[in-house]
Formats: sequence, structure tokens, C-alpha cells
Amino acid sequence: MSTPDADGSAEEYAGATGGEEVTRSGNSFAGDVWVNFKRWNVKAVRNPFVLVVSLAQPIIFLVLFTQVFGNVAGGAVEGATGGDISYETYLVPAIAIQVALAAAVTSGIGLVNDIENGMFEKVLVTPMNRTAVFLGKTAAEVFRIAIQIGIILGLGVLLGAEIATGLPGVIGIMGIGVLFSLWFVAFSNSLAILTRDQESTIIGANLLQFPLLFLSSAFLPLATLPGWIQTFARLNPVTYGVDATRSLMLDENVMTVIEVSWFDGTLNGVVPGVAVLAGIGLSFGAIAVYLLSRASSSDVK
Amino acid sequence: MSQQGSRTTADPSVDGDGVNRASERDSTERAAIDVDGLELTYSDGTTAVQGVDLTVPRGEFFGFLGPNGAGKTTTIKVFATLLSPTSGDVQVNGFDARSETRKIRETIGYMAQETSIDPELTAEENIRFACEAYGVPSGERAERVSELLSLVDLADVADKQAEEFSGGMKKRLDAATALAHRPPLVFLDEPTTGLDPKARNRLWEYFLRINDLGTTIFLTTQYLEEADQLCDRLAVILDGNIVADGSPDDLKREVGGEVLAIELERGDGVRERATTIAREFDAFADATVSETEDGISVTSEVARQYGTDLLVALRDAGLTVTGFNIRAPTLDDVFLAITGDEIDTAEMPDGDRGASQ
Repeated sequence: MSTPDADGSAEEYAGATGGEEVTRSGNSFAGDVWVNFKRWNVKAVRNPFVLVVSLAQPIIFLVLFTQVFGNVAGGAVEGATGGDISYETYLVPAIAIQVALAAAVTSGIGLVNDIENGMFEKVLVTPMNRTAVFLGKTAAEVFRIAIQIGIILGLGVLLGAEIATGLPGVIGIMGIGVLFSLWFVAFSNSLAILTRDQESTIIGANLLQFPLLFLSSAFLPLATLPGWIQTFARLNPVTYGVDATRSLMLDENVMTVIEVSWFDGTLNGVVPGVAVLAGIGLSFGAIAVYLLSRASSSDVK
Repeated sequence: MSQQGSRTTADPSVDGDGVNRASERDSTERAAIDVDGLELTYSDGTTAVQGVDLTVPRGEFFGFLGPNGAGKTTTIKVFATLLSPTSGDVQVNGFDARSETRKIRETIGYMAQETSIDPELTAEENIRFACEAYGVPSGERAERVSELLSLVDLADVADKQAEEFSGGMKKRLDAATALAHRPPLVFLDEPTTGLDPKARNRLWEYFLRINDLGTTIFLTTQYLEEADQLCDRLAVILDGNIVADGSPDDLKREVGGEVLAIELERGDGVRERATTIAREFDAFADATVSETEDGISVTSEVARQYGTDLLVALRDAGLTVTGFNIRAPTLDDVFLAITGDEIDTAEMPDGDRGASQ
């Protein structure tokens, strides 16, 4: 260590003052996570693109769909669910999932930007734990997703939606939204590493966003949709996310693609969705972790 | 004379003045960098570096020169743990570059060739992030941040986002972040490429200052003047091998003699004819003759003595000499002698990256 008690600034400077050991400086794992969590939160607030894309678009959907299709869709929704559920109530869980999807795209964009402006390499040269670096970044992103879902739920309630399970339901919907986002966070990061190009990542992730949303139970009950859409919807993670959040919203089992009767009522709609999403999240996460560790270690023999 | 390519490795015994090499070899653990037989082959089969031996004692201002694609950036990335050596033994600050990468990262600063800052963060936030990433104690951060900001002359724009900065400001900010944790060893990969002379001078001053405070500096540059002014010792890498090593003065001395630069009136084949005449000139049998932008240059021990005779010979051959001068060799001449090519700074400022991608 350099002599800590030396009083001239020249003596204090660096570990190069003649000691046998060089000065080492680094953090704890939690410290590393926190540093990165903070950085990505600041960047999210600074970057209007992030907020506009991932929040404004779902809000527009929420308002337009309820106002334009509300009357027409309401009948189909009532027919399918059997109750007098307003289209607002029906739609809000889907918009919550849309927010998670749209926000997850920005995760990959953030990574591409880091690669392009050199911060990716700069961070690799620091002694920060690499797992902590990506944990901190992801934590910042899901934190933002949870807040944005909260905003959508609040707005939905203002427009007339009802959350039958109350505050616990709100927290549950946020939780499912965050869980749902993980596979798409992993997907957009994988895309980012593979393309290393901002436009490609945005296009790739955005192109997928609408087919995923429309070919699911998000906007209308599956029973009212053509057969091929129903088939696709069964394989679509959005369906599982939407049905799980919708079950919480309505406080009844509205899971359309898996039938279980392990519990009474609502949980039969929530638990299978959560399980499927966790599985998808883990699979995509594993791919992203593999690609990331390959990208952060060198391409040498 | 001037065939320094025959010195294939950095042989410490050749070193002349300034640095006491013998005592350094007594304790290689005290060397900032100690490399033995470094080889690096990329996964596509390209060998970027082969058989590099190098020792940089602590506290030295070391310059690493070479033409584009010679392996400078690759070598620096091995030292900074971004690339893992294919073979050879690499010790940085006494730690092994394969098994103790984290310890190396804790003890070095690295300024990449491409400016690396977060444009969405302010100048202050960029430096603060670096302080936090390197675990500078929270009590010292505020002072360290303001000290670095004023050091690189960005205190006035501390709260501005870096995306608004000019290229020079970004480079200075990048330098500040590489030094946030006061590392004992700093790697600077072409830190002044693309800067205007004023910004370059300011960075030079700063590098010299931290070197005076004991920081070992490992610098690559395409500006030979920069290497000449800053470095205690230089090594030249060519095609992945170190081909020359020594203090700037040593290297210049080894070029031998003086340089006679002759300007000729332009015309078809004028320079070629003049080169032939100079090469066939008896007194300059051992000289290095090369074409320059506006004439030829002859490097020889006897340039001063027989220079006028050559001028006469050129005139007799019908060539018009428009100017001439005799000067001591510069690092450009050293570089020319070693690599057989002039260093090209203007056209390919980022050319070296090719090898690293």
C-alpha cells in the first residue's frame, strides 16, 4: 500500500511511491451492483427516447383502444368472460405487459450504446464483478418497468378500469410484468451482442413487439380470434403474461391456454403463467449470459 | 548502419543513458510490466503479436511505437486484461495476466484508443462513476472528482452532459476517468490522436505531471514528436515483433550520422533519378537514401562532408536543386530506418484498430 500517513500530496499519489506492494482499489459485489444500478437509472431519466418509447406508446394504445374499440370489443369480452367487465378493465393488464415488452427493448439498446461509445470495454477493464455489472443494469431496467406498470395501472383506473384484487393485485401485476420482461430483456441483449448495431437492435426488437402483442390474448379473447392465431398464442409468452395479470385484475382464473386446478380460483390463472414465464426467462437468460460472457472475454486462441 | 531490424528483441544491455537497467533486473516483481515471449493469435488465426519481450520499470514513461497494424493495441489490450495471451508470461504490477486479472484491473488505468465516455452523463458523473467503479472511498470522492475536473480543465462544464463536448474535451474527460483511482500504472493508447496542438500540449503536461508523481506510463502514439518529448524509453514494434528499444536519444544516435535533405524542382522521374545518383555516389555507399515529398534524403556519417559534392553531381545530371539542409536525425528518421516506411499519422488515425477487432 502507499503510505497513507504521508502528508505531501505527491507522496500520497498512487501506489507508485516506492512501496513493495502496489495499491489496489475495488468494491464489494453489492457495491458494484449499486454503482451500475445508479448509472443506468440516471441514463434512463436523461434519455427521452427510453421514456417515450416505453411509456408513451402503451399509453396511446390504452387510450385509443379503449375509446375506439371499447364499444365493439366490449361485447366480445362479455361473451367470452361471461361477466360485465368493461373493456378498460380487460385491456389494462395487456397494456401492463406491453409496457414490460417495450421497456425491455431499451435494455438491448443501452448495451449497444455502451459497446458503441466504449463504455462496455471501459467497464470490463475496471475491477467490477461482471455479474454485478449486468445485475445492476438489469435491476435498473426492471425497477423502471415496475414504476411504468404502476403508472399504467393508475391511468387505467382513471379511465374506469377496476382492479378487483386491490393493492396486493397491483403489486402482483408489477411482479408478473417484471418477470415477463426478463425473457425480452435477455432477447434484446442477445440481439445487441449479435448485431452490435443500434438500428438493427431497435428494428429487430420492435418488429417483434406488435406480432407478439396482437397474436395473443392481449386485446381480445382468444375464442373470438381465428384458429391460426389461437395456435400461435399458445406458444406466445405474451399470452401467459397477459392471462396471469388479467387473472389478478379480475380476481378469477382467465388463463386460456393452460388448464390447472391446483388451487381455488384466481391462483389457477396466475401460477401456471408465472411458472411458464420463469422457465422462458431462464432459457433466454442463459443464452444472453452465454453471449455476454463470450463478448466480454477475448476472441483469442 | 541504420539496419536496426537486426535487433530483434529488446535487449536491456544495449540501453545507454538515463535508466539504470541492471538494478531493475534484480527484482522483476518491482517492474510495472514484465513480459517474456508474449504471443497472441486471434481466434481467426491472425497472429497479431509474436515473441514480445519487454520490461518496463516502475515510474518510467514508456513509449510503444509502430506502424498501423503492428500490434500496439493488441499488446496494450493484453496488459489491460482485455485479451488473454496465447502464450508467454505476462506480469503486470507483479500479477499474472491470465490468473490474476482482477488484481491487475485494480491496479491499472486504461485509456482506450477510441474515446470512451458515457455521453448521457455529465463530466462530473463520468468521473464519479469511475471513482465508484474503482472503489475510491466515499469520503474522498468529492475531492477527487473536483481535483480531476480542474486538472483536465473541465471544471466549468462539470454539469454539462458529455455529448455536448468537443473531441478534445471528451479525450480529456476520458483521461480523467482513467486516472480516477490514482493507478500506479496507466495505459494510454494514442491518447492525443485527433486533438488540436493546444489540447495535446495540455494533456502532455498532465501526463508528465502524474509521471513525476510516480505513475508508470505506457503510451502508444503515432506522433513521434510526442514520443520524443515525453518518453524516457521507447520500443518499436513491427509485424508483432519488437525491433528496437532504447531512449529517444539512443535510437537517434543509432541511425548514425546526419540527415541531408535535398529539395528538387518537380518533374517526372526526378526523385527516382536523384535517388539513383545518390545511391551510386561512392561516399554514400553505406548511406540510407530515400525519397521525400519534395526531393530525397540521405542519412550518412559523412553527409556534411560530402553533401556539396552530391549537390554538384545532381546539378551535373540536369536536376535543379531548390533547397537543402543538414540536420540531426529525428525519431522520424529512426522510424524510417527501422520500418522502411514513414509513419503515417494524417491518413489513418484509427488504422491500428483493424488488428484488434
